[in-house]
Amino acid sequence: MDLNICISGAAGDGVKEAGELCGRIFADLGYNVFIYQEYQSIIRGGHNASVVRISDKKIHSHRKYYELLICLEDYIYRMHSPYLRGDVIFDSKFSCEGIGIPMTEIVKEEHEPMIFRNAASIGALSAYFGIDFDTVEVMFRERFGEKAEDDIVIAGSAYEYYMKNYSPKMEIKRNGPGKKLVSGAVAVSEGMVNAGLEYYYAYPMTPASPVLHYLVRRKGVVAYQPESEISAISMTVGSAIAGKRSATGTSGGGFALMCESIGMAGIAEIPVLIIEAQRSGPSTGMATYSGQEDLEFVLHPSHGEFPLVVASPYSIEDGFRMAGELLNLAWKYQTPAILLTDKHLVESIETASIDENSVKKQDIAIIDRSEEIVKRYRITESGVSDYAVPPAIVKINSNEHDEFGLTTDDAEIRKKMHEKRMKKDKLIEREVSDSAYHLFFRGQECIVTWGSTFGAVYEVAEELGYRVAVIRYMRPFIPPKLRKAVVVESNYTGQLAKMLREKADIEVESILKWDGRPFTPEELRERLG
Amino acid sequence: MLKKIEWCPGCGNFGILKAFNTTVEKLSNSGIDRGRIVVVAGIGCHGKLPDYVELPSFHTIHGRVLPALTGIKLANPDLFPVGFSGDGDAMNEGLEHLLHSAKRNTDVTLFMHNNGVFGLTTGQFTATTPKGVRTRTTPYGNPEEPLNPSLIALVSGATFVARAFAGDMKQLSEIMFEAVMHKGFSFVEILQPCVSFNNTWDYYRKNVKKIKTPENFSDAVRISIDTLNTGIIYRTERETFEEAMMRTK
Repeated sequence: MDLNICISGAAGDGVKEAGELCGRIFADLGYNVFIYQEYQSIIRGGHNASVVRISDKKIHSHRKYYELLICLEDYIYRMHSPYLRGDVIFDSKFSCEGIGIPMTEIVKEEHEPMIFRNAASIGALSAYFGIDFDTVEVMFRERFGEKAEDDIVIAGSAYEYYMKNYSPKMEIKRNGPGKKLVSGAVAVSEGMVNAGLEYYYAYPMTPASPVLHYLVRRKGVVAYQPESEISAISMTVGSAIAGKRSATGTSGGGFALMCESIGMAGIAEIPVLIIEAQRSGPSTGMATYSGQEDLEFVLHPSHGEFPLVVASPYSIEDGFRMAGELLNLAWKYQTPAILLTDKHLVESIETASIDENSVKKQDIAIIDRSEEIVKRYRITESGVSDYAVPPAIVKINSNEHDEFGLTTDDAEIRKKMHEKRMKKDKLIEREVSDSAYHLFFRGQECIVTWGSTFGAVYEVAEELGYRVAVIRYMRPFIPPKLRKAVVVESNYTGQLAKMLREKADIEVESILKWDGRPFTPEELRERLG
Repeated sequence: MLKKIEWCPGCGNFGILKAFNTTVEKLSNSGIDRGRIVVVAGIGCHGKLPDYVELPSFHTIHGRVLPALTGIKLANPDLFPVGFSGDGDAMNEGLEHLLHSAKRNTDVTLFMHNNGVFGLTTGQFTATTPKGVRTRTTPYGNPEEPLNPSLIALVSGATFVARAFAGDMKQLSEIMFEAVMHKGFSFVEILQPCVSFNNTWDYYRKNVKKIKTPENFSDAVRISIDTLNTGIIYRTERETFEEAMMRTK
């Protein structure tokens, strides 16, 4: 079974929530679910859509065409009808060919605000799929607890209306034990927490904000919104200096503001993790749409040379794993790490199987008391020195410094200290070499991709006879050994393709997209076929 | 001494460093070990100070002293983060951090060296350079009115505001001690001559006045407006940022 449902309406219609609720019903019934949220940077009006894909196979992507469209506004119907390959359920406040449900009337009768039409649409779609109303009721209660009553009444009325006037088109049966829905933002957050995150500072910026929204409510983490991204990263550095695992998160514009501090963390050897959730750029670009345009920028964020880790997770499950990996790496090698992700990964929701045991905090030795100044920057063979925090007398310095952290411009010391720091790059490279990329399937030709684009690639590669290499680590960059590759990514210039060509001498053919919308399997099938 | 001092002979920073060392000694005698006093400094002549004190320290980038102090304090409330900034470092680049630190009443201290000029970069005007003053970048006179740092801290919500003079070590070290001990955000503006680019020694020696801490906020505002008034301008107590944040954890 494979279904693709689109729920669409104006901003403020509760479409995003409806998509999640619909996904929950199918996840509870044991299906694999993937939810793609498309919305505009508008609070009310405009256009929002939630695409819910349901399958009995493992999926990491929505599809382009829908078997069912649920539409709350007539002008929105016109936008979506080209993608419709099945039925439409609509609010019969407007006229349209299809299954009309008097959603507005039902909500009015219950004296509820119009946002409750989303509950009515859940009732109607459950009836359409022949899902037992008990399942719907249980879902609402699990989601809203005591506040679920109003939703249940409205969903119930829509369900009854459907059953009286139409007949179910399918009979969806349980497909095994219920599954849990996880968003990319929650996966990344929990991955960091598993690796010991205690402090998170971030300034609101789409699409990184869901991480902050989640962590401010998460027990065991202190999360705070300061006055700017510059402040956010400076506080992150401050908390790390005090010995606590800390992170910050933003999108391209906010990341640009953090750049000076990233180099500072590099020379001062302070571990910080920065989440960069890409959106369509440049500049303000399209704030609520996805993209993979920041790779080249993020690889070289600050002046001067310093060890830096840049990696990108390719699925929600990998987001959990990688967030933990990177926080551990940052602390082990005392240098900044960047988790480069995108709107499509962070804001999408999936029945991801998160393996709690796949991420554990790797403790490092920390000196926290001393009589005299600690040799915080001791020149060692490996390049890694002892980490020390107050109340030890430890001197952290953004200037070039000697082993004690005292400012210097002595040529010999500079030579040794810079070399010591840069040596850490080699160690990091050795450590991540086994997880630099992941391989899937067998095939003569190979598709190389990165980030959320993997979702659509994964789905079509096998049937088209390709194998897939998905790049996780971009710095250090350890590319797969290939002669030729088709490189799929969401940008105009083929940024990963360029790296593969220049650094690994791979003959590349690029498949690119830069319209802010993630690749769908249908599109890829056309372009690869 | 850890490192040879690189300030110009006659620099106001010598007085500030000496007063701070006296303060550290006094804090040690009050049971606050050296390791708990964490010094953070920005970029400028004041920024050399961490190299001259045997305390934990962090020499950060220009203008970002306060968020670093905030991150340190929130992560370990047992520490006493003490910041040093110049007028360029607190009033030009990163001014927003002062407003927000005062507003959130984070329990840290900021000593702002105010010499009215960029010294280390050889004499350009700052946000506290008086109107009309000729500097390297205002050869025809500064076209702008200066900011009043103590007044800004006060109206932004700082719970301890003081102004001191680098030439009066006794008063300065007393104020420094009070500022570090104060629970909440402490801001101390230190009037400091720059012997190379803005030598105000004679002017300040002749004109600075000592005030008595006023009873209420509006008197404090009035007193802070006269930039030659020194002393503790305002002191009050309210919940700190750290207390508010930890209440829910």
